[in-house]
Amino acid sequence: MNKSTFNILGWFVPAGIFALLLFGCERDITDLDTATYPTNPEVFINGFSGGLNYAAFGGSVPTAFNVDNEVTLNNSAAAMRFEVPDYNDPRGAYAGGTYFTGVGRDLSGYNALTFWAKASKDASLDVVGFGNDLGANRYTVSINGLNVNTNWKQYIIPIPDPSKLNTERGMFFYSEGPEDEKGYTFWIDEVKFEKLGTITKPTAAILNGQDNTVTAEIGENITLTGLTATANLPSGVDQSVNPTPYYYTFTSSNTSVATVSETGIVTIVGAGDAIITAQMGNTAASGSLTINSVGAAIQPSAAAPTPTVDASKVISMFSNAYTNVPVDTWNTRWLYSTAEEFYVQIAGDDVIRYRNLNFVGIEFTSQTIDATNMTHFHLDIWTPDPTNAPKNFKVQLVDFGANNTYGGGDDVSHEITITAPVLATQSWVSINIPLSNFSGLTSRAHLAQLVLSGDLPNVYLDNVYFYNSATPPAVPTTAAPTPTDSPANVISVFSNAFTNIPATDLNPNWGQGTVVTQVAIAGNNTLKYAGLNYQGIQLGSNQNISTKQFLHLDYWTANSSSLKVYLISPGPIETPYTLTVPSTGWASIDIPLSSFAPVDLSNIIQLKFDGNGDIYLDNIYFK
Amino acid sequence: MKITNKPTNIQAYAITLLLAITLWGGCKPDDFQKLDKRNWVLTWSDEFNGLAEELPDTSKWNFNVGTGSGGWGNQELQYYTDRSKNASMDGEGNLVITAYRESYAGSPFTSARINTQGLFEQKYGRFEARLKTPYGPGLWPAFWMLGSTITTEPWPQCGEIDIMELRGQQPNIINGTLHGPGYSGGNPISQSYAMPDNRFDTEYHLFAVEWDEEKIDFFVDDYLYQRIERDDVSGEWVYDNPFFIILNVAVGGNYVGFPTEQTPFPQKMIIDYVRVYQ
Repeated sequence: MNKSTFNILGWFVPAGIFALLLFGCERDITDLDTATYPTNPEVFINGFSGGLNYAAFGGSVPTAFNVDNEVTLNNSAAAMRFEVPDYNDPRGAYAGGTYFTGVGRDLSGYNALTFWAKASKDASLDVVGFGNDLGANRYTVSINGLNVNTNWKQYIIPIPDPSKLNTERGMFFYSEGPEDEKGYTFWIDEVKFEKLGTITKPTAAILNGQDNTVTAEIGENITLTGLTATANLPSGVDQSVNPTPYYYTFTSSNTSVATVSETGIVTIVGAGDAIITAQMGNTAASGSLTINSVGAAIQPSAAAPTPTVDASKVISMFSNAYTNVPVDTWNTRWLYSTAEEFYVQIAGDDVIRYRNLNFVGIEFTSQTIDATNMTHFHLDIWTPDPTNAPKNFKVQLVDFGANNTYGGGDDVSHEITITAPVLATQSWVSINIPLSNFSGLTSRAHLAQLVLSGDLPNVYLDNVYFYNSATPPAVPTTAAPTPTDSPANVISVFSNAFTNIPATDLNPNWGQGTVVTQVAIAGNNTLKYAGLNYQGIQLGSNQNISTKQFLHLDYWTANSSSLKVYLISPGPIETPYTLTVPSTGWASIDIPLSSFAPVDLSNIIQLKFDGNGDIYLDNIYFK
Repeated sequence: MKITNKPTNIQAYAITLLLAITLWGGCKPDDFQKLDKRNWVLTWSDEFNGLAEELPDTSKWNFNVGTGSGGWGNQELQYYTDRSKNASMDGEGNLVITAYRESYAGSPFTSARINTQGLFEQKYGRFEARLKTPYGPGLWPAFWMLGSTITTEPWPQCGEIDIMELRGQQPNIINGTLHGPGYSGGNPISQSYAMPDNRFDTEYHLFAVEWDEEKIDFFVDDYLYQRIERDDVSGEWVYDNPFFIILNVAVGGNYVGFPTEQTPFPQKMIIDYVRVYQ
C-alpha cells in the first residue's frame, strides 16, 4: 500500500454551511482495485488516503484542522492536528468536521476503526466516529466523551455490523468544543479500519437493554432510543458505541397493533399487545418495548358546557370563554407523577387531556392568583374511567403566602375529594367548589399551585376558573355618597344635601308605567323607580342653568340594561344621555351640560329617564 | 508498566506456525515443539459432567474459603466462597468458576478457588485442563499447582507450577511459570504465550505441563512454548515431590492490578476437564 506519497494540494473555504477542504493524492497505479468498491482500510497514516475530502461542520472553526509534520506518532511524516477554540471565539464555537470519500469503500471486511490520539491537556472529545458522509449518514457510529491525555494512546471504535458498510463514504469525523471554556489542541494519527481477532463478544441493545412497557393508543408514535452496540476490546474492557437505527432490523410481534419503521419509530395502529424487538446482523439485541395499546383514545364527543358567569366575576386559568391569566405549566412533572398532558380540541373547544394521571402539579408561580374576592373554584372534567364510589378525583389548591414563594412557613393548602354522584363517566361534569370548603386554605391571595389527583387515569379538563357567585343585592345597602359641592354653586332637583327647587313634581302623570317611591337607604332619602319604562320630573319653576357646567347624578341599579337621562326645554326640545348600567354599587357621574345640546340651558323645565329595571337615584343637581 | 517479553525462538506465534505446517502439508511437525505422542496413562481426571448448579465433587476438590492472608498473599480483592453461585457444574459438561462484583463479607467481589490437596497429589506426569478464561482488567484466572510439602515447608520452598495464568487486560496472553526458592514472586522463571489476533476467552484451549525428573514442558494446544530444565533453574529444583492442582479466578492483586469501572462482570472461567497422566 502506498502510505506516504499523498500531498495536500490545497483547500478553499466556500461560503455556506460548511467549508470544504479537498485533498488530492498521487496514487500508485498498482494500487488500483478490481472490486466495484475499494476496500482500502487506510484513512490517515502518514497522510491522507486516496480520494478523501474534508468538510468542517457548520458553526465550527473552519481552519481547526491542519496537518502537523512536527507532532506525530512515532516520528512519522504527518499527523492530524485539531485546534479547539476558546469559548466565544468569533471564528466558531467548536472544532468539528468529517472526512469522506466521493466513492464509497467496502469496509465489510473490517470490524474496527482504530486510531491514535493525544492532546495538549487531559480532555474528553465530545464525539468521534465514522459514517458521516454529509448525506444520509445511515451508518454513523460514534463514541461520546472519549478521554484523551498528553500521551499517544490507541483507540478502537468497534463496527457494530460490518456487513452494512459495503459502500461507506464516511471515513472519520469528530466534534469537540472547549474544555471548561478553554481551547486546546489534540492530534490524531494512524487512522485505519482493521479486522481484529481480539475484538470479541459483540452485543447490541435497544432501550439501553431494558425491557420497557408502555401504554399507548392508536396514532401515537414512539421513537426507540438507547441504541447501543458493545464489543470487548483487546484490553478486556467493553466499548459501547452509538449506532444508527439502520444497523438494526426491528420487528413487531403484532403488526396489527404496532408497526416499526427502519428508523426505529413505532406507530400504534390497533388495540392489543405487541412487543418490539430488534436484531443486529444475526444477533438479537437486548431490550424490548412491550406496547399495551388501548386502541383509539376515548374522548368526549361534545365540548364542555360554555361558562355563563360574567367575565367580570371570573379569574380564569383555562377556558375559551375568558381571557386567561398566565399559567406556568399544566404539568410540573413532579417526581413520581406519571401524568402526560395533551392539548386537544373537542368540537372546536380547547381542552387539556391528561393520561396516566396519578397526580399532576399545575403551577402559576410567576404570577400568583389573588382569589380573595372569589367565592368558588370551577372546573369541567370528562373521564372515560369508572367513577363509581369509592373512586375519587381530588382538587388541591396551594397558597404560597405573603412571601409569594414556596416554603417560608406561610404556605397553606387544602384538598377537596370529589366522588360519585358528582363524578360521572363519559359525561362532562361541572364541578363548583365553594372556596370556603377549602378550610385549610386560610389565605387565597397568593395561589400558586393546583394539584389534581385521584383514581381517574384519563381526564379531559376545561373551564378552570375562580368566580364570584354572590348575586348582587336588589337594594342598595349603602346611602349614595354625600355631595361635597358647595350649596352656593348648586341648583338642586333632588338631594338631602341641598335646598331643592320648590314645588318640583317627582311623579308627573305622563302615562308611564314606572312606580315611583321615595325610600330610605341607610337613613338617606332616595328616589326609586321600580319597573322603569320612562319617568318625568316636572321642575317647580323654569331654570336657567346656563352658568352651570354639569348635571350631577348618583344612580344604582342591579338589573337595568338600559338607562338614559334627558334634559327638556320648551318645544319640547329634549336630548338623551346614556348611562352605564348596571352600576357597580353607587355610580356618581358629572354629565357635561354641553352633552344635551340643542336643549336651551337657560330655560329647563323638565328631566326625563327612560330604560328598564329598578333604578335608585339621589343627588340630582346642576353644578 | 509491564512489558510482555519478546518471543524467543520457542515462543513463536503458534497460529502462524501451525498454519504454515498445515499449508505446507508435507512438512514434519517441528521435532522440538511438537513432541511425539507418548503412552500417557490416565491417573486422575474430572470431566465435570454433573448436573447444573452441582458443586464440585468433594472426593476430588476442596474449596478455599475467605480472603486468605493478605488477599492470598497477593492483595487480591475477592472473597472465595463455596457457593454454587461461584463454582458449579453448568450441566453441559463444564465446571464454571464465576467472579461477581458484589459486596460479600466485607469484600467487593466474590469468586471461587478449589484444589485437590490431600485428595489427589502426583509427582511427575502430564497435567492438562481444557478451558475458556474470563477477561477484563483485574481478572486473574489460573490453573496451577503447589507442592504437597507446603504443609511442612513454607512457600516458595514447596514449589509452584503455574500451568496457565492470564491477565484479563491482555486476554490474548497466558503465562507458564515456576516459583521456587530464589526465584519467586516478582522474579520467577516465566514465559508468555501470545496469540496475535485471537483471545483465550472466546474458545477452549488446552493448557498442559509435562513434568519429569529432568524438566517441565509447558504447552498450549499441544504446542510446546517453554521448556525449563533442572539446570535452567537459578535456585533449587524443588519439583521432585507430589503436587496438587488448583483452579481459581482471582480479582485484583499484585499480578493483575485492580479491576476498573469498565471491567464487565460477572466473569466466568469455563473448564471442560482436568486430566492427569503418568
